[in-house]
Amino acid sequence: MLEDRAGSEDAPDGSGADTTTADPILEVRNLSTQFFTAEGQVNAVESVSFDVYDGEIFGIVGESGSGKSVTALSILDLVESPGRVTAGEIWYRNPDLADDMRDSHPEAVEGEYVDTRRVPTGVRRSLRGPTFSMIFQDPMSSFNPSITVGEQLAEAIEVQRRARANPRSTRSRTQGYGLGRFLTDSLLPSRSYVSAESRERATGLLDQVGIPDSAERAAEYPNQFSGGMLQRAMVAQALAGEPDVLIADEPTTALDVTIQAQILDLLADLQDEEDMSVIMITHDLGVIARMCDRVGVMYAGEIAERGSLTDVFDRPVHPYTEGLLESIPDPDDPAPRLQPIEGNVPSLIDSEMGNRCYFADRCPKAMDECVAEKPAEVDTAGSAEHRVRCVLAEREYDPTRALSGTEEDREREASADD
Amino acid sequence: MALGRFVLKRALQGIVVVWGVVTVVFGLRFITPGNPISVIAPLDASPETRQAIARELGLNDPLYVQYLDYLLGLLQGDMGYSYISNTQASAQVFARLPATLELAVVATIVAVVISIPLGVLSATRRNEPADYGATLFSLAGISTPNFWLGIMLVLVFAVQLEIFKTSGRGPGFVSALSMLVTQGSAAGLLSWLSYITLPALALGTYFTALITRLTRSGMLDELGSAYVKAVRAKGLPETLVRYKHALRNTLVPVITVLGLQLGTLIGGAVITEAVFDWPGLGTLVITSITARDWPILQGSLVVIGVGFVLINIAVDTLYAYVNPQVVYE
Amino acid sequence: MISPRTLGNLRREFRSSALAKLGVLIVVVVVGVAVLAPMFAPHDPTTQNLDRSQLPPVGFSTTTNSTSTEMVNGSLEVINETNEINATLTYPLGTDSLGRGMLSRVIYGARTSLLVGLLGTILAAVVGVSVGLVAGYYRGRVDDTLMRSADVMLAFPSLVLAIALVGLWGRAAWRVPDPLVVAGITPEMPASFVLPGTVIVVVGLVNWVWFARVARGEALSVREQSYVKAARSVGASNSFIIRRHILPNSATPILVLGTIQVAAIILLESALSFLGFSGTTLSWGFDIARGRDYLASSWWISTVPGIAIVLSVIGINLLGDWLRDALDPGIGGEGGSGGA
Repeated sequence: MLEDRAGSEDAPDGSGADTTTADPILEVRNLSTQFFTAEGQVNAVESVSFDVYDGEIFGIVGESGSGKSVTALSILDLVESPGRVTAGEIWYRNPDLADDMRDSHPEAVEGEYVDTRRVPTGVRRSLRGPTFSMIFQDPMSSFNPSITVGEQLAEAIEVQRRARANPRSTRSRTQGYGLGRFLTDSLLPSRSYVSAESRERATGLLDQVGIPDSAERAAEYPNQFSGGMLQRAMVAQALAGEPDVLIADEPTTALDVTIQAQILDLLADLQDEEDMSVIMITHDLGVIARMCDRVGVMYAGEIAERGSLTDVFDRPVHPYTEGLLESIPDPDDPAPRLQPIEGNVPSLIDSEMGNRCYFADRCPKAMDECVAEKPAEVDTAGSAEHRVRCVLAEREYDPTRALSGTEEDREREASADD
Repeated sequence: MALGRFVLKRALQGIVVVWGVVTVVFGLRFITPGNPISVIAPLDASPETRQAIARELGLNDPLYVQYLDYLLGLLQGDMGYSYISNTQASAQVFARLPATLELAVVATIVAVVISIPLGVLSATRRNEPADYGATLFSLAGISTPNFWLGIMLVLVFAVQLEIFKTSGRGPGFVSALSMLVTQGSAAGLLSWLSYITLPALALGTYFTALITRLTRSGMLDELGSAYVKAVRAKGLPETLVRYKHALRNTLVPVITVLGLQLGTLIGGAVITEAVFDWPGLGTLVITSITARDWPILQGSLVVIGVGFVLINIAVDTLYAYVNPQVVYE
Repeated sequence: MISPRTLGNLRREFRSSALAKLGVLIVVVVVGVAVLAPMFAPHDPTTQNLDRSQLPPVGFSTTTNSTSTEMVNGSLEVINETNEINATLTYPLGTDSLGRGMLSRVIYGARTSLLVGLLGTILAAVVGVSVGLVAGYYRGRVDDTLMRSADVMLAFPSLVLAIALVGLWGRAAWRVPDPLVVAGITPEMPASFVLPGTVIVVVGLVNWVWFARVARGEALSVREQSYVKAARSVGASNSFIIRRHILPNSATPILVLGTIQVAAIILLESALSFLGFSGTTLSWGFDIARGRDYLASSWWISTVPGIAIVLSVIGINLLGDWLRDALDPGIGGEGGSGGA
């Protein structure tokens, strides 16, 4: 059954690593997100598939501009014009929601799973908080500067509290609060949207993420917080809805090195306590190695290689993965061995991409077939889930077939292929 | 409290500005050709009469004595006597003040009530017909001289349709309201409306258009910002995303610009009054300039300047309330 | 000062925005008409012709009641006549109460508006930018003093101050010979053009504050840049740093502000001449004021010049929007002081 739903994908049917014994909480299939700009159509995310299991940390790693953050926003349905999720399925395991939706939207339901792309917008919105929540890269710009931190946390709690009070109506969560209600509630302090209970719970959450003097800090504005403290507050805010899947988008990039480790420890502890799944997005393989159970390597909007940590770190197939691993400085061997990958991520403009491997121009092992046709995602050695989008998965590198000449030559050849 | 200290600081700065205003107003007379005596004295006045007038007005005193006299007079509410009618200037000026305030307040209320929802609508329905309509309206609104708009309103509503009054003030809001309370009659209020509607529209349109533009572009900026994404990720209802979060932050620059544009509001009131014969400070300023009635002109300018400073302090306080960070800076 | 990247931004924004194209079109037309006014105007805008007064614009007609007394059979009789007045193509936009063609007056009025707008803006910019750069560069007491005086200026509504200054200083005006007439191209038009001197000086003086604020802000941020610090460390003089580094960096926001200010000053000039505080009678505001007395009979005398103002100011504002969107100077909605 899962095979049908997953289309060309193999079912994650329980062989291999121990994390795959259960059904995944989230199955992303062939997700594509495009931006329609004046310069042309940009394929920010192209046919991305991966699974996230209960209680695991799944990592997505890649350079900036590889489509990691857009993937996260696509899952939360937060992509904004001129961008749009154009294809794919996001299957989320939730028996209650599946029962709710089975009659009205049978096409979006499959067993215990619901395709969040095919349920109405209101339902999709209501999943934000209790199902998905997100930690953003830069805490300073991700809090409203003119509202106290406590109030912003309390809002996140309140919206879920109100939803639980009215469980039968997923839609009323987001649509039942109109402008009229807002105006009357704002004029009367006693009828404020956020209840005293939620405020109390917000202070509790601040405590839980290790912010001292939480009651006082709750009354402060974001600009009175340090970056690290504010990121803790953001973690607390993301926990407010007790989410099944927490997406952390570069949660430590904007922070000092010393603070980074604290936030990562906090996330690891909380993930343990709350038994939620985490999607960790980062450009730092060190973070992946430290935090994650399984990982997907993104390049130019695609997942180039994915699998367990051992698959990707010890038996990488894709030359891009190898390149990333080689570019990590080794603290034990500080000799100048650092090998940056030549070149830059391509522009992703649809008309310039062509039916070819997007990495070929930078690839030290590029061969003629790399620019002849785009490689499909195929199984490869290692765990059952080790999949890679590279011709080297099926044949050895053959120097005699190497792509020759300058980059310009290759580009010309490539465009002649179109 | 922090907010109280902030207001106090702004008030002290305001006093300095008011002092500057008074000094400029006082100095204006000395950089202007013509002698006040010729305004007061009859054309055939003898040199003795002219001397007597000069002595009475203190025109022979050294400049600093005249300046201190004027400052001390103002502190006691004394603006001198009109050169023309020889009545107390302060009495004339303050008699005109309520009419101008009423016009400016009504125009501002109309502008704020229309423009902010319109700006939000325009931003949230971007590139839809409602947005195009609002954009077109606001572009035309900031490009239309309010005196001409006033005349066009008169042409359409008074000359052709004969609905509204085109000149004068009618009963005034306070007496219209007291009529409603004491006699239970809405006639006064209706009459008040028939007088104030056209001038308020003429004066308010520019501000409606300006605030619509600012609100639209501000909302677009805020709705595209990182924190709005984070607020949406929490699952908050769109109403709260728009009004509690985005609009609130949009109002911060809107209030700043409004404070800066207050002068335009008062200047606009002056010319609107001229179009509709509204008995306010504006018409008083224009007649006193033509007549070279210095005490009236100076008194009006001082009142306008002080009013501007007071409203600015109020705007800054509102600003600090909406955007609490400024208090701590 | 204008980098290729800037030009690229301008071009891209222009291509993608229909409003920017409309703005440029309007401004080009208005400027062209103003410069070549004697060639476009069908009649001398100052020649009165009472036989042809209050003619309606093409497409409209009006009736007038004229009352006259005549000797009929030895006694005075009052004769009421109702005349249908039809428009004539000779005066496409009608005529005013003195029989002067509205089209010609609107065309010549564009000259007054644009000249006052441009010269006033230049004056305001020179004064304001100088004050602002000095205040922002030297900071401290110089800054406090200059900016407090700017606050005092702001406390006077620019229209009120302008009325007071023009009213009190008189309405000096210069007669400038019209080159097109002097050259003999259009000999039938007025030989000289009246430039309202006091008005130009006054609108410049009451609007410098906006430029001072923007220039000060730029100076404050640019002076902290490392290349300015470097220049200072090698002993460059203050005036050299201001001219060489700070002024060019302030050019973009000042250009955008200047565009908005031209629109604002055109509105201010029309308000002044509407109230009668102007040095010329060839002005849109002046004609609007004259038309007020004829609203019931000849609506077009006030309407036509008003439409000319609205269209021109819309064009300039669109031009300003285009520059602002393309150059992103970060001055938001400040600096317009129109509406008057």
